[in-house]
Amino acid sequence: MTLDFSFIWTAFVKLLPAIPNTLYITVVSVSCGFIIGTIVALSRIYKIPVLNQLGTSYVTFIRGTPMLTHLLLIYFGLPLIIDGLAEKYGWSFNSVSIPMIGFAYISFSITAGAYLAEVIRSGMLAVDKGQLEAAHSIGMTTFQALRRIVFPQAFAAALPNLSNSLIGMLHGSTLAFTVSVVDINAKAQIVAATNWKFFEAYLAAALIFWGLTIVIERITAWLEKRINVYNRGGVA
Amino acid sequence: MIKLTKITKSFGRNRVLNGIDLTVEKGEVVAILGPSGSGKTTLLRCINYLEKPNDGEISIDDFIVNCRNPAKKDIHALRRKTAMVFQNYNLFRHKTALENVMEGLVIVKKISRDEARKLSIELLEKVGLGNKLSSYPSQLSGGQQQRVGIARALALNPEVILFDEPTSALDPELVGEVLAVIRKIAKEGITMIIVTHEMGFAQDVANHVVFMDEGVIVEEGHPKHIFNSPKEERTKQFLARITPESAYSI
Amino acid sequence: MGTQFDIAFVFEYFLKLLPFIRISLVIVGSSILVGMGVGFLVALPRLYKIPVLQRISQVYASFFRGTPILIQLFLIYYGLPEILKLANIDVSKVPVLFFVILAYGLHSGAYMSEGIRAAVTAVDRGQVEAAYAVGMTGFQAFTRIVFPQALAISIPILANLVIATLKDTSLAFTLGVMELTGKSQTLVTMSRHFIESYVALALVYFIISFILEKLFNLAERRLLKHEAPISSKDRVPMGRKWLNSRIDGEIALSKGGSGI
Repeated sequence: MTLDFSFIWTAFVKLLPAIPNTLYITVVSVSCGFIIGTIVALSRIYKIPVLNQLGTSYVTFIRGTPMLTHLLLIYFGLPLIIDGLAEKYGWSFNSVSIPMIGFAYISFSITAGAYLAEVIRSGMLAVDKGQLEAAHSIGMTTFQALRRIVFPQAFAAALPNLSNSLIGMLHGSTLAFTVSVVDINAKAQIVAATNWKFFEAYLAAALIFWGLTIVIERITAWLEKRINVYNRGGVA
Repeated sequence: MIKLTKITKSFGRNRVLNGIDLTVEKGEVVAILGPSGSGKTTLLRCINYLEKPNDGEISIDDFIVNCRNPAKKDIHALRRKTAMVFQNYNLFRHKTALENVMEGLVIVKKISRDEARKLSIELLEKVGLGNKLSSYPSQLSGGQQQRVGIARALALNPEVILFDEPTSALDPELVGEVLAVIRKIAKEGITMIIVTHEMGFAQDVANHVVFMDEGVIVEEGHPKHIFNSPKEERTKQFLARITPESAYSI
Repeated sequence: MGTQFDIAFVFEYFLKLLPFIRISLVIVGSSILVGMGVGFLVALPRLYKIPVLQRISQVYASFFRGTPILIQLFLIYYGLPEILKLANIDVSKVPVLFFVILAYGLHSGAYMSEGIRAAVTAVDRGQVEAAYAVGMTGFQAFTRIVFPQALAISIPILANLVIATLKDTSLAFTLGVMELTGKSQTLVTMSRHFIESYVALALVYFIISFILEKLFNLAERRLLKHEAPISSKDRVPMGRKWLNSRIDGEIALSKGGSGI
């Protein structure tokens, strides 16, 4: 077995069709995670009873355990719950009707939600309290102030972390192989095993991930530059 | 005796010091005045090589540094002969007041810890901080921090102490305590070069005033002459602008 | 599947997993040590702006931060022997654990180098000037003034990285290493009580992360005793400038969601 450089290219081409699955998983989990995260972050900032404590435990637990365990727990636990309920209430729906990728969507959204909750929270807290007061002083309602003054600044402050989380979830999507979803990583395994060229196949997969990551970083840098125009200057 | 010869310094294409010649006698207290951007802080920072001059010569007694191609060893030696008090104090954040003063003694001068401690406590008492030995900078007011900074400089027993606008970061009510300390040590015959905006202080503590503008020394001499009968037009304008009567003319 | 959830199994599995904490922690500890060494080597050329090396460091950090750890594990495991074979070095008898530690070490090294860089640059420039002004050499200024302050600043980054690495070790089972996750999977092959096993597994990880976090908090408080005390509550929004830069570093350099 020696290095076969031309096979890196062959593997690269074979991996391309698996890119959409990786992107679906990433985009769905980050989008759903963003919604979960916003709700959790707001209930923690405004100390909404019950939701605040629930949110805190959720964030602590998820951040303290590997993403793989979330996936395994959902994959094996969710069917137990759904089938139990279906039996009790006589639903025709049961766990077999959930597609494999659905487990990945659900589990990764839960993971992303916890990380994004922290990102959103620290972004909101980074906005000077005086900004809200100033908005109130010119007669805005709290809702207007949040929407027009606080959120845009919070977004700018949170952008690097949002990008980090997106990259984290992109890389985390490689776990989908455990529930038999064929993403880039799983495809690389298949290509590697059928041709007995492991290194080349994984190198091709690594290059794709590297490229995708760099694209995300570039877009973030560009966005940051546009958004942070107001932050320019000041103390040198 | 400290002698600066033809010191020049540029930042990119912007020439900040344009051939400065200055001689400071032993025991002299020199005040450098001038509008902001005139190069006075840069000049001060060139003396201990926190800024690298592009050209010129710095000499302290027989020790000479040629600024064209100084040896690393020479720069280090120059820094050991000088001490600096910074505008924003720059106390070592992770060390107490006492440790800040001791640091140079123990690490640079290699004095034993016990001796260094004794000397440092004496100096801190001298600047009126005998009761703050174990406070960290974050627990001290600006004025107190600056007095520790002065003690740290004094401890090194340098040929000259460089003061870079020592009071301009302070709240007005804290300026007095720091000036009082500087005034006190000025009387002990330590050579000092002070960049300052406090005209009254310069007039009454300094025995040599230097007025700088646009990277050159416009005029220098005894404070009596500079303040009461300046010869140069630029000096007159500068002094007129900062005298209280016209302070509101803007 | 098809078995009823039985809390007794959670307890039983939990106890059975405990002995395997050791191997997971060995992987974490060794790879963090490797990572520190690598991190320093990679950070120095960028801190001191050494021409070519600086560029190599950049590419290294970009690659190891830009690809999933799972792929890196496979790359090192399958690739390293082949590369070494070109140099006539046979590593077929080297235990898998070695490759696993190397992979996690190289991975965390990339994050470590960014952390070191950020921490060193976060130390106020005036601190170095003051050190020079009292006559210290560059080396003395670094070891006595910059490094101790940078260390305190980087504790949160380090904590984040250690916990992320712990979570990442759950992937070592893919190469057949019998750590916590690997063990949890063998436990269920007999009884088929999957969910109980994974609940127990999650609990073990959670408890370790929790303890690690507490330990790091303690270390941070000791190292930052020179900063005026501030409650953790108002830490993020409006500390002083110096502390804010510290917080920014912590967040921007954390592994985001990738602490899988």
